[in-house]
Amino acid sequence: MANDRGYKRSWKNLLINKRYQLRFTLFMVGLSTLLMGGLGIWIMVVANETTKVSITSERGKRCPKIPTIQAPYEEQPAPPPTPMKLEEPAAGSAAPTAPDAKTEDGRRKPKIDVTLDEMELPKPVTIVPPVPGGADIYTLSDKGKELNKKSFGFLVVDHWRCELDIAAKVKRLEHGRMRILFTLIGAGILLVVGLAIYGIKMTHKVAGPLFKVQLYLAKMRDGRFDKVYNLRKGDQLVEFYDHFKQAHAGVVALEKGDIERLKKTLLAAEAAGAGEHPSVVELRAMLARKEKSVE
Amino acid sequence: MSDPTAASGPGASNPNAGRARYKRKLSNYLLDKKLQLRYILVVTLLSGLIAGALGYMIYDQRHQSTQSIEQDLQDLVSDDEIKSITGDYETEDRVLVYKMVAAGVGLVVILSLYLILMTHKVAGPLYKTSIYFDRMAQGRLSVVTPLRRGDMLQDFFEKFKDMHDVVRQRAIDDVDAMEKALAALRESRNQGDYRGETHNSFNEELDKLEQHLQQRKKQLV
Repeated sequence: MANDRGYKRSWKNLLINKRYQLRFTLFMVGLSTLLMGGLGIWIMVVANETTKVSITSERGKRCPKIPTIQAPYEEQPAPPPTPMKLEEPAAGSAAPTAPDAKTEDGRRKPKIDVTLDEMELPKPVTIVPPVPGGADIYTLSDKGKELNKKSFGFLVVDHWRCELDIAAKVKRLEHGRMRILFTLIGAGILLVVGLAIYGIKMTHKVAGPLFKVQLYLAKMRDGRFDKVYNLRKGDQLVEFYDHFKQAHAGVVALEKGDIERLKKTLLAAEAAGAGEHPSVVELRAMLARKEKSVE
Repeated sequence: MSDPTAASGPGASNPNAGRARYKRKLSNYLLDKKLQLRYILVVTLLSGLIAGALGYMIYDQRHQSTQSIEQDLQDLVSDDEIKSITGDYETEDRVLVYKMVAAGVGLVVILSLYLILMTHKVAGPLYKTSIYFDRMAQGRLSVVTPLRRGDMLQDFFEKFKDMHDVVRQRAIDDVDAMEKALAALRESRNQGDYRGETHNSFNEELDKLEQHLQQRKKQLV
Protein backbone atom coordinates (compact mmCIF):
# COMPACT_ATOMS: atom_id res chain seq x y z
CA MET A 1 0.00 0.00 0.00
CA ALA A 2 1.36 3.40 -0.97
CA ASN A 3 0.35 5.08 2.28
CA ASP A 4 1.57 2.27 4.50
CA ARG A 5 5.19 2.33 5.55
CA GLY A 6 4.89 -1.23 6.81
CA TYR A 7 5.81 -0.92 10.48
CA LYS A 8 5.52 -4.30 12.14
CA ARG A 9 4.41 -4.92 15.67
CA SER A 10 7.20 -5.98 17.98
CA TRP A 11 7.18 -7.15 21.59
CA LYS A 12 9.55 -4.38 22.59
CA ASN A 13 7.05 -1.62 22.03
CA LEU A 14 3.86 -3.30 23.11
CA LEU A 15 3.50 -0.97 26.07
CA ILE A 16 3.23 2.36 24.31
CA ASN A 17 0.77 4.06 26.60
CA LYS A 18 1.55 2.43 29.93
CA ARG A 19 -1.07 4.28 31.94
CA TYR A 20 -3.97 3.46 29.65
CA GLN A 21 -2.85 -0.04 28.72
CA LEU A 22 -1.93 -1.17 32.21
CA ARG A 23 -5.11 0.27 33.68
CA PHE A 24 -7.34 -1.70 31.35
CA THR A 25 -5.22 -4.84 31.48
CA LEU A 26 -4.88 -4.76 35.25
CA PHE A 27 -8.61 -4.30 35.62
CA MET A 28 -9.24 -7.36 33.48
CA VAL A 29 -6.55 -9.42 35.21
CA GLY A 30 -7.57 -8.23 38.68
CA LEU A 31 -11.21 -9.04 38.13
CA SER A 32 -10.41 -12.50 36.79
CA THR A 33 -8.03 -13.17 39.67
CA LEU A 34 -10.68 -12.07 42.12
CA LEU A 35 -13.26 -14.32 40.51
CA MET A 36 -10.86 -17.23 40.28
CA GLY A 37 -9.67 -16.71 43.84
CA GLY A 38 -13.13 -16.31 45.37
CA LEU A 39 -14.76 -19.14 43.50
CA GLY A 40 -11.61 -21.24 43.83
CA ILE A 41 -11.72 -20.96 47.62
CA TRP A 42 -15.42 -21.84 47.53
CA ILE A 43 -14.65 -24.85 45.36
CA MET A 44 -11.93 -25.99 47.74
CA VAL A 45 -14.24 -25.63 50.76
CA VAL A 46 -16.91 -27.73 49.02
CA ALA A 47 -14.30 -30.15 47.69
CA ASN A 48 -12.88 -30.60 51.20
CA GLU A 49 -16.38 -31.29 52.53
CA THR A 50 -17.11 -33.72 49.73
CA THR A 51 -13.79 -35.48 50.22
CA LYS A 52 -14.39 -35.71 53.95
CA VAL A 53 -17.88 -37.11 53.46
CA SER A 54 -16.67 -39.57 50.85
CA ILE A 55 -13.71 -40.68 52.97
CA THR A 56 -15.96 -41.15 55.99
CA SER A 57 -18.37 -43.06 53.80
CA GLU A 58 -15.60 -45.29 52.50
CA ARG A 59 -14.13 -45.92 55.93
CA GLY A 60 -17.57 -46.75 57.25
CA LYS A 61 -17.97 -49.61 54.81
CA ARG A 62 -17.89 -53.07 56.37
CA CYS A 63 -15.46 -55.55 54.95
CA PRO A 64 -16.10 -59.29 55.30
CA LYS A 65 -14.43 -60.48 58.46
CA ILE A 66 -11.64 -63.00 58.59
CA PRO A 67 -12.82 -65.96 60.63
CA THR A 68 -10.78 -66.35 63.79
CA ILE A 69 -8.42 -69.24 63.86
CA GLN A 70 -8.36 -70.89 67.20
CA ALA A 71 -8.51 -74.26 68.70
CA PRO A 72 -11.93 -75.43 69.78
CA TYR A 73 -12.60 -74.94 73.44
CA GLU A 74 -13.98 -77.40 75.88
CA GLU A 75 -16.21 -76.43 78.77
CA GLN A 76 -14.61 -76.65 82.19
CA PRO A 77 -16.46 -77.24 85.39
CA ALA A 78 -17.44 -74.13 87.30
CA PRO A 79 -14.83 -72.98 89.82
CA PRO A 80 -15.70 -73.32 93.52
CA PRO A 81 -17.64 -70.37 94.95
CA THR A 82 -15.54 -67.52 96.15
CA PRO A 83 -15.36 -67.33 99.95
CA MET A 84 -17.07 -64.29 101.48
CA LYS A 85 -14.02 -63.44 103.48
CA LEU A 86 -11.47 -61.99 101.21
CA GLU A 87 -7.91 -62.76 101.93
CA GLU A 88 -5.68 -59.82 102.59
CA PRO A 89 -3.32 -59.41 99.68
CA ALA A 90 0.26 -59.78 100.59
CA ALA A 91 2.16 -56.53 100.72
CA GLY A 92 3.87 -55.76 97.44
CA SER A 93 2.03 -58.42 95.52
CA ALA A 94 -0.14 -57.62 92.52
CA ALA A 95 -3.89 -57.55 92.77
CA PRO A 96 -5.56 -60.81 91.83
CA THR A 97 -6.81 -60.83 88.27
CA ALA A 98 -10.24 -61.95 87.21
CA PRO A 99 -10.25 -65.40 85.73
CA ASP A 100 -9.73 -65.15 81.99
CA ALA A 101 -12.11 -67.20 79.93
CA LYS A 102 -9.34 -68.05 77.64
CA THR A 103 -6.79 -68.89 80.22
CA GLU A 104 -6.29 -72.17 81.87
CA ASP A 105 -7.78 -70.78 85.07
CA GLY A 106 -11.08 -69.99 83.36
CA ARG A 107 -14.00 -72.12 82.48
CA ARG A 108 -12.92 -72.59 78.88
CA LYS A 109 -9.84 -74.39 77.90
CA PRO A 110 -8.43 -75.04 74.46
CA LYS A 111 -9.40 -78.47 73.41
CA ILE A 112 -6.01 -79.43 72.21
CA ASP A 113 -3.73 -82.04 73.40
CA VAL A 114 -0.32 -82.24 71.96
CA THR A 115 1.82 -85.07 73.04
CA LEU A 116 5.33 -85.06 71.88
CA ASP A 117 7.62 -87.99 72.01
CA GLU A 118 10.69 -87.51 73.98
CA MET A 119 12.71 -88.29 70.99
CA GLU A 120 14.26 -85.37 69.22
CA LEU A 121 12.46 -84.28 66.10
CA PRO A 122 14.59 -83.68 63.03
CA LYS A 123 12.34 -80.81 61.90
CA PRO A 124 10.23 -78.32 63.85
CA VAL A 125 6.60 -79.32 64.15
CA THR A 126 3.99 -76.88 62.93
CA ILE A 127 0.58 -77.27 64.41
CA VAL A 128 -2.12 -76.03 62.10
CA PRO A 129 -5.40 -75.54 63.87
CA PRO A 130 -8.52 -76.43 61.96
CA VAL A 131 -9.85 -73.46 59.95
CA PRO A 132 -13.52 -72.72 59.24
CA GLY A 133 -14.66 -73.49 55.72
CA GLY A 134 -11.57 -75.49 54.98
CA ALA A 135 -8.11 -74.35 54.03
CA ASP A 136 -8.31 -74.98 50.31
CA ILE A 137 -9.51 -72.10 48.09
CA TYR A 138 -10.41 -74.48 45.32
CA THR A 139 -12.52 -77.59 45.57
CA LEU A 140 -12.83 -80.42 43.16
CA SER A 141 -16.31 -81.30 42.02
CA ASP A 142 -17.97 -82.92 39.04
CA LYS A 143 -17.67 -79.67 37.14
CA GLY A 144 -13.97 -79.51 37.82
CA LYS A 145 -11.99 -77.02 39.90
CA GLU A 146 -14.29 -74.54 41.64
CA LEU A 147 -13.65 -71.54 43.82
CA ASN A 148 -14.60 -72.21 47.40
CA LYS A 149 -16.02 -68.92 48.57
CA LYS A 150 -16.39 -70.16 52.09
CA SER A 151 -12.81 -71.26 52.37
CA PHE A 152 -10.58 -69.53 54.84
CA GLY A 153 -8.12 -68.44 52.13
CA PHE A 154 -10.83 -66.88 50.02
CA LEU A 155 -12.26 -65.03 53.02
CA VAL A 156 -8.82 -63.69 53.95
CA VAL A 157 -8.19 -62.51 50.41
CA ASP A 158 -11.67 -61.05 50.20
CA HIS A 159 -11.19 -59.16 53.46
CA TRP A 160 -7.87 -57.65 52.53
CA ARG A 161 -9.00 -56.88 49.03
CA CYS A 162 -11.86 -54.89 50.54
CA GLU A 163 -9.54 -53.16 53.05
CA LEU A 164 -7.03 -52.27 50.36
CA ASP A 165 -9.82 -51.13 48.10
CA ILE A 166 -11.04 -48.74 50.78
CA ALA A 167 -7.50 -47.48 51.40
CA ALA A 168 -7.03 -46.95 47.67
CA LYS A 169 -10.34 -45.11 47.40
CA VAL A 170 -9.40 -42.86 50.31
CA LYS A 171 -6.08 -42.16 48.66
CA ARG A 172 -7.81 -41.51 45.35
CA LEU A 173 -10.19 -39.08 47.02
CA GLU A 174 -7.27 -37.23 48.62
CA HIS A 175 -5.53 -37.15 45.25
CA GLY A 176 -8.72 -35.90 43.62
CA ARG A 177 -8.89 -33.05 46.12
CA MET A 178 -5.26 -32.13 45.47
CA ARG A 179 -5.85 -32.40 41.72
CA ILE A 180 -8.69 -29.89 41.98
CA LEU A 181 -6.41 -27.55 43.95
CA PHE A 182 -3.54 -27.83 41.46
CA THR A 183 -5.93 -27.50 38.51
CA LEU A 184 -7.33 -24.33 40.01
CA ILE A 185 -3.87 -22.89 40.70
CA GLY A 186 -2.64 -23.86 37.22
CA ALA A 187 -5.75 -22.50 35.50
CA GLY A 188 -5.48 -19.31 37.56
CA ILE A 189 -1.85 -18.73 36.61
CA LEU A 190 -2.55 -19.49 32.96
CA LEU A 191 -5.54 -17.20 32.97
CA VAL A 192 -3.62 -14.33 34.57
CA VAL A 193 -0.65 -14.64 32.21
CA GLY A 194 -2.87 -15.16 29.16
CA LEU A 195 -5.10 -12.25 30.05
CA ALA A 196 -2.16 -9.97 30.73
CA ILE A 197 -0.70 -10.74 27.29
CA TYR A 198 -4.08 -10.49 25.59
CA GLY A 199 -4.94 -7.26 27.42
CA ILE A 200 -1.66 -5.61 26.48
CA LYS A 201 -1.98 -6.74 22.86
CA MET A 202 -5.61 -5.62 22.68
CA THR A 203 -4.95 -2.21 24.20
CA HIS A 204 -1.86 -1.87 22.03
CA LYS A 205 -4.18 -1.82 19.01
CA VAL A 206 -5.77 1.27 20.51
CA ALA A 207 -2.61 2.79 21.98
CA GLY A 208 -0.72 2.30 18.70
CA PRO A 209 -2.87 4.65 16.60
CA LEU A 210 -2.92 7.15 19.48
CA PHE A 211 0.86 7.03 19.63
CA LYS A 212 1.08 7.55 15.89
CA VAL A 213 -1.30 10.50 16.08
CA GLN A 214 0.81 11.94 18.90
CA LEU A 215 3.90 11.81 16.69
CA TYR A 216 2.07 13.75 13.97
CA LEU A 217 0.72 16.17 16.57
CA ALA A 218 4.30 16.90 17.69
CA LYS A 219 5.29 17.54 14.07
CA MET A 220 2.32 19.80 13.48
CA ARG A 221 3.20 21.67 16.66
CA ASP A 222 6.67 22.29 15.23
CA GLY A 223 5.15 23.51 11.98
CA ARG A 224 5.84 20.41 9.90
CA PHE A 225 2.85 19.01 8.05
CA ASP A 226 4.35 15.81 6.67
CA LYS A 227 2.45 13.21 4.76
CA VAL A 228 0.18 11.12 6.98
CA TYR A 229 0.58 7.38 6.55
CA ASN A 230 -2.07 4.72 7.09
CA LEU A 231 -2.48 2.60 10.19
CA ARG A 232 -1.22 -0.94 10.39
CA LYS A 233 -3.50 -3.86 9.65
CA GLY A 234 -5.54 -4.84 12.69
CA ASP A 235 -5.23 -1.48 14.41
CA GLN A 236 -8.27 -0.05 16.13
CA LEU A 237 -9.53 3.56 16.03
CA VAL A 238 -9.60 3.56 12.25
CA GLU A 239 -12.45 6.08 12.15
CA PHE A 240 -10.70 8.29 14.67
CA TYR A 241 -7.56 8.16 12.58
CA ASP A 242 -9.58 9.14 9.50
CA HIS A 243 -10.83 12.18 11.39
CA PHE A 244 -7.23 13.06 12.21
CA LYS A 245 -6.17 12.67 8.59
CA GLN A 246 -8.95 15.01 7.52
CA ALA A 247 -7.93 17.50 10.21
CA HIS A 248 -4.34 17.32 9.02
CA ALA A 249 -5.52 17.86 5.46
CA GLY A 250 -7.59 20.82 6.66
CA VAL A 251 -4.60 22.52 8.27
CA VAL A 252 -2.48 21.80 5.19
CA ALA A 253 -5.23 23.36 3.07
CA LEU A 254 -5.10 26.47 5.29
CA GLU A 255 -1.37 26.71 4.79
CA LYS A 256 -1.67 26.15 1.05
CA GLY A 257 -4.38 28.81 0.87
CA ASP A 258 -2.05 31.26 2.61
CA ILE A 259 0.81 30.25 0.30
CA GLU A 260 -1.28 30.82 -2.80
CA ARG A 261 -2.51 34.20 -1.60
CA LEU A 262 0.96 35.29 -0.51
CA LYS A 263 2.48 34.26 -3.82
CA LYS A 264 -0.04 36.30 -5.77
CA THR A 265 0.36 39.31 -3.49
CA LEU A 266 4.16 39.13 -3.69
CA LEU A 267 4.08 38.81 -7.48
CA ALA A 268 1.82 41.85 -7.72
CA ALA A 269 4.03 43.77 -5.27
CA GLU A 270 7.19 42.91 -7.21
CA ALA A 271 5.46 43.89 -10.43
CA ALA A 272 4.46 47.17 -8.85
CA GLY A 273 8.09 47.80 -7.83
CA ALA A 274 7.56 47.22 -4.13
CA GLY A 275 9.69 44.05 -4.07
CA GLU A 276 12.19 45.48 -1.60
CA HIS A 277 9.60 46.91 0.76
CA PRO A 278 10.27 45.63 4.31
CA SER A 279 6.70 44.26 4.53
CA VAL A 280 7.17 42.39 1.28
CA VAL A 281 10.43 40.94 2.57
CA GLU A 282 8.62 39.86 5.69
CA LEU A 283 5.84 38.27 3.64
CA ARG A 284 8.43 36.51 1.52
CA ALA A 285 10.00 34.98 4.64
CA MET A 286 6.56 33.88 5.80
CA LEU A 287 5.92 32.31 2.41
CA ALA A 288 9.22 30.43 2.53
CA ARG A 289 8.38 29.10 6.02
CA LYS A 290 4.91 28.02 4.97
CA GLU A 291 6.19 26.35 1.81
CA LYS A 292 8.75 24.43 3.83
CA SER A 293 6.11 23.30 6.31
CA VAL A 294 4.02 21.54 3.64
CA GLU A 295 6.89 19.96 1.72
CA MET B 1 -5.18 47.86 12.32
CA SER B 2 -7.16 45.04 13.72
CA ASP B 3 -6.54 43.39 17.03
CA PRO B 4 -5.57 39.75 16.72
CA THR B 5 -6.80 38.97 20.19
CA ALA B 6 -10.19 40.34 19.24
CA ALA B 7 -10.13 37.98 16.29
CA SER B 8 -9.74 35.03 18.59
CA GLY B 9 -13.03 35.87 20.26
CA PRO B 10 -14.11 36.10 23.85
CA GLY B 11 -13.03 32.60 24.60
CA ALA B 12 -9.41 33.39 23.95
CA SER B 13 -8.73 34.92 27.32
CA ASN B 14 -10.78 32.31 29.16
CA PRO B 15 -11.21 29.14 27.17
CA ASN B 16 -14.13 27.94 29.25
CA ALA B 17 -16.08 31.19 29.22
CA GLY B 18 -19.25 31.25 27.16
CA ARG B 19 -19.08 27.55 26.35
CA ALA B 20 -21.58 24.92 27.33
CA ARG B 21 -20.24 22.58 29.98
CA TYR B 22 -20.99 19.13 28.70
CA LYS B 23 -22.29 16.74 31.28
CA ARG B 24 -22.32 12.98 31.04
CA LYS B 25 -25.65 11.64 29.83
CA LEU B 26 -26.94 8.08 29.89
CA SER B 27 -27.97 8.38 26.26
CA ASN B 28 -24.46 8.99 24.98
CA TYR B 29 -22.48 6.54 27.06
CA LEU B 30 -21.83 4.33 24.06
CA LEU B 31 -19.93 6.88 21.99
CA ASP B 32 -17.70 4.43 20.17
CA LYS B 33 -19.80 1.29 20.06
CA LYS B 34 -17.21 -0.85 18.31
CA LEU B 35 -14.41 -0.02 20.70
CA GLN B 36 -16.50 -0.11 23.86
CA LEU B 37 -18.62 -3.16 23.09
CA ARG B 38 -15.60 -5.17 22.05
CA TYR B 39 -13.86 -4.66 25.37
CA ILE B 40 -17.08 -5.15 27.32
CA LEU B 41 -17.86 -8.37 25.48
CA VAL B 42 -14.39 -9.78 26.06
CA VAL B 43 -14.40 -9.04 29.78
CA THR B 44 -17.99 -10.11 30.45
CA LEU B 45 -17.70 -13.29 28.40
CA LEU B 46 -14.48 -14.18 30.15
CA SER B 47 -15.94 -13.49 33.58
CA GLY B 48 -19.05 -15.46 32.69
CA LEU B 49 -16.91 -18.33 31.50
CA ILE B 50 -14.81 -18.39 34.68
CA ALA B 51 -17.85 -18.05 36.92
CA GLY B 52 -19.72 -20.69 34.92
CA ALA B 53 -16.91 -23.25 34.88
CA LEU B 54 -16.03 -22.82 38.54
CA GLY B 55 -19.70 -22.69 39.48
CA TYR B 56 -20.24 -25.99 37.72
CA MET B 57 -17.29 -27.46 39.63
CA ILE B 58 -18.81 -26.31 42.92
CA TYR B 59 -22.17 -27.81 41.99
CA ASP B 60 -20.52 -31.03 40.88
CA GLN B 61 -18.64 -31.38 44.15
CA ARG B 62 -21.74 -30.77 46.21
CA HIS B 63 -23.75 -33.15 44.10
CA GLN B 64 -21.09 -35.83 44.59
CA SER B 65 -21.29 -35.26 48.31
CA THR B 66 -25.08 -35.64 48.25
CA GLN B 67 -24.83 -38.83 46.23
CA SER B 68 -22.25 -40.24 48.61
CA ILE B 69 -24.52 -39.59 51.58
CA GLU B 70 -27.42 -41.13 49.69
CA GLN B 71 -25.43 -44.29 49.01
CA ASP B 72 -24.47 -44.58 52.66
CA LEU B 73 -28.04 -44.21 53.75
CA GLN B 74 -29.21 -46.93 51.41
CA ASP B 75 -27.67 -49.54 53.70
CA LEU B 76 -29.25 -48.07 56.79
CA VAL B 77 -32.75 -46.82 56.02
CA SER B 78 -35.55 -47.32 53.51
CA ASP B 79 -35.88 -45.45 50.22
CA ASP B 80 -38.66 -43.21 51.52
CA GLU B 81 -36.58 -42.16 54.47
CA ILE B 82 -33.64 -41.51 52.17
CA LYS B 83 -35.85 -39.22 50.11
CA SER B 84 -37.00 -37.39 53.20
CA ILE B 85 -33.39 -36.86 54.27
CA THR B 86 -31.63 -36.25 50.97
CA GLY B 87 -34.58 -34.32 49.56
CA ASP B 88 -33.25 -31.35 51.50
CA TYR B 89 -29.78 -31.83 50.06
CA GLU B 90 -31.15 -31.93 46.53
CA THR B 91 -33.16 -28.79 47.20
CA GLU B 92 -30.03 -27.18 48.58
CA ASP B 93 -28.11 -28.20 45.45
CA ARG B 94 -30.83 -26.70 43.25
CA VAL B 95 -30.93 -23.51 45.33
CA LEU B 96 -27.16 -23.33 44.92
CA VAL B 97 -27.54 -23.51 41.14
CA TYR B 98 -30.16 -20.75 41.18
CA LYS B 99 -27.98 -18.64 43.43
CA MET B 100 -24.99 -19.08 41.17
CA VAL B 101 -27.00 -18.30 38.04
CA ALA B 102 -28.38 -15.17 39.71
CA ALA B 103 -24.88 -14.18 40.86
CA GLY B 104 -23.55 -14.80 37.33
CA VAL B 105 -26.26 -12.66 35.71
CA GLY B 106 -25.72 -9.96 38.35
CA LEU B 107 -21.99 -10.06 37.74
CA VAL B 108 -22.42 -9.71 33.98
CA VAL B 109 -24.92 -6.83 34.33
CA ILE B 110 -22.86 -4.92 36.91
CA LEU B 111 -19.67 -5.56 35.02
CA SER B 112 -21.19 -4.40 31.74
CA LEU B 113 -22.47 -1.19 33.30
CA TYR B 114 -19.14 -0.53 34.97
CA LEU B 115 -17.26 -1.22 31.76
CA ILE B 116 -19.55 1.07 29.78
CA LEU B 117 -18.69 3.81 32.28
CA MET B 118 -15.01 2.97 32.15
CA THR B 119 -14.73 2.73 28.39
CA HIS B 120 -16.80 5.90 28.08
CA LYS B 121 -13.93 7.67 29.81
CA VAL B 122 -11.75 6.63 26.88
CA ALA B 123 -14.34 7.00 24.13
CA GLY B 124 -15.35 10.44 25.46
CA PRO B 125 -11.97 12.14 24.92
CA LEU B 126 -11.66 10.42 21.53
CA TYR B 127 -15.09 11.68 20.57
CA LYS B 128 -14.26 15.20 21.71
CA THR B 129 -10.95 15.13 19.84
CA SER B 130 -12.78 13.88 16.74
CA ILE B 131 -15.11 16.90 16.92
CA TYR B 132 -12.07 19.21 17.00
CA PHE B 133 -10.53 17.23 14.13
CA ASP B 134 -13.71 17.78 12.11
CA ARG B 135 -13.49 21.51 12.79
CA MET B 136 -9.85 21.53 11.75
CA ALA B 137 -10.81 19.67 8.58
CA GLN B 138 -13.11 22.57 7.79
CA GLY B 139 -10.23 24.96 8.41
CA ARG B 140 -11.57 26.14 11.75
CA LEU B 141 -9.13 26.51 14.62
CA SER B 142 -11.38 27.37 17.54
CA VAL B 143 -10.54 27.27 21.24
CA VAL B 144 -10.04 23.80 22.76
CA THR B 145 -11.68 23.27 26.13
CA PRO B 146 -10.17 20.79 28.59
CA LEU B 147 -11.53 17.31 29.24
CA ARG B 148 -13.95 16.52 32.01
CA ARG B 149 -12.67 15.34 35.36
CA GLY B 150 -12.15 11.59 35.47
CA ASP B 151 -11.66 11.26 31.73
CA MET B 152 -8.83 9.05 30.56
CA LEU B 153 -6.27 9.82 27.83
CA GLN B 154 -5.49 13.14 29.51
CA ASP B 155 -1.90 12.97 28.26
CA PHE B 156 -3.00 12.46 24.69
CA PHE B 157 -5.53 15.26 24.86
CA GLU B 158 -2.97 17.59 26.43
CA LYS B 159 -0.66 16.97 23.48
CA PHE B 160 -3.51 17.56 21.05
CA LYS B 161 -4.50 20.77 22.84
CA ASP B 162 -0.90 21.91 22.90
CA MET B 163 -0.56 21.32 19.15
CA HIS B 164 -3.91 22.96 18.44
CA ASP B 165 -3.06 26.02 20.52
CA VAL B 166 0.37 26.40 18.89
CA VAL B 167 -1.04 26.01 15.34
CA ARG B 168 -3.85 28.41 16.17
CA GLN B 169 -1.48 30.96 17.74
CA ARG B 170 0.82 30.67 14.75
CA ALA B 171 -2.13 31.27 12.43
CA ILE B 172 -3.19 34.28 14.53
CA ASP B 173 0.36 35.64 14.44
CA ASP B 174 0.49 35.10 10.67
CA VAL B 175 -2.82 36.90 10.20
CA ASP B 176 -1.52 39.67 12.42
CA ALA B 177 1.73 39.91 10.46
CA MET B 178 -0.11 39.85 7.12
CA GLU B 179 -2.51 42.52 8.34
CA LYS B 180 0.41 44.71 9.37
CA ALA B 181 2.10 44.12 6.02
CA LEU B 182 -1.16 44.86 4.21
CA ALA B 183 -1.57 48.13 6.08
CA ALA B 184 2.06 49.07 5.44
CA LEU B 185 1.80 48.28 1.73
CA ARG B 186 -1.44 50.23 1.38
CA GLU B 187 0.21 53.19 3.11
CA SER B 188 3.36 53.01 1.00
CA ARG B 189 1.27 52.71 -2.18
CA ASN B 190 -0.36 56.00 -1.29
CA GLN B 191 2.95 57.64 -0.54
CA GLY B 192 5.26 55.79 -2.95
CA ASP B 193 5.89 56.02 -6.61
CA TYR B 194 4.27 52.91 -7.96
CA ARG B 195 4.19 52.36 -11.69
CA GLY B 196 0.75 53.05 -13.04
CA GLU B 197 0.22 49.93 -15.16
CA THR B 198 0.44 47.50 -12.30
CA HIS B 199 -1.18 49.82 -9.84
CA ASN B 200 -4.64 48.38 -10.30
CA SER B 201 -3.63 44.72 -10.20
CA PHE B 202 -1.56 45.27 -7.01
CA ASN B 203 -4.50 47.09 -5.52
CA GLU B 204 -6.75 44.16 -6.41
CA GLU B 205 -4.34 41.67 -4.87
CA LEU B 206 -4.19 43.67 -1.66
CA ASP B 207 -8.00 43.70 -1.57
CA LYS B 208 -8.02 39.94 -2.07
CA LEU B 209 -5.45 39.52 0.70
CA GLU B 210 -7.65 41.58 2.98
CA GLN B 211 -10.64 39.34 2.18
CA HIS B 212 -8.48 36.30 2.78
CA LEU B 213 -7.46 37.64 6.16
CA GLN B 214 -11.07 38.43 7.08
CA GLN B 215 -11.98 34.83 6.31
CA ARG B 216 -9.04 33.53 8.32
CA LYS B 217 -10.05 35.61 11.32
CA LYS B 218 -13.52 34.10 11.18
CA GLN B 219 -11.98 30.61 11.11
CA LEU B 220 -9.89 31.38 14.16
CA VAL B 221 -12.83 32.31 16.36
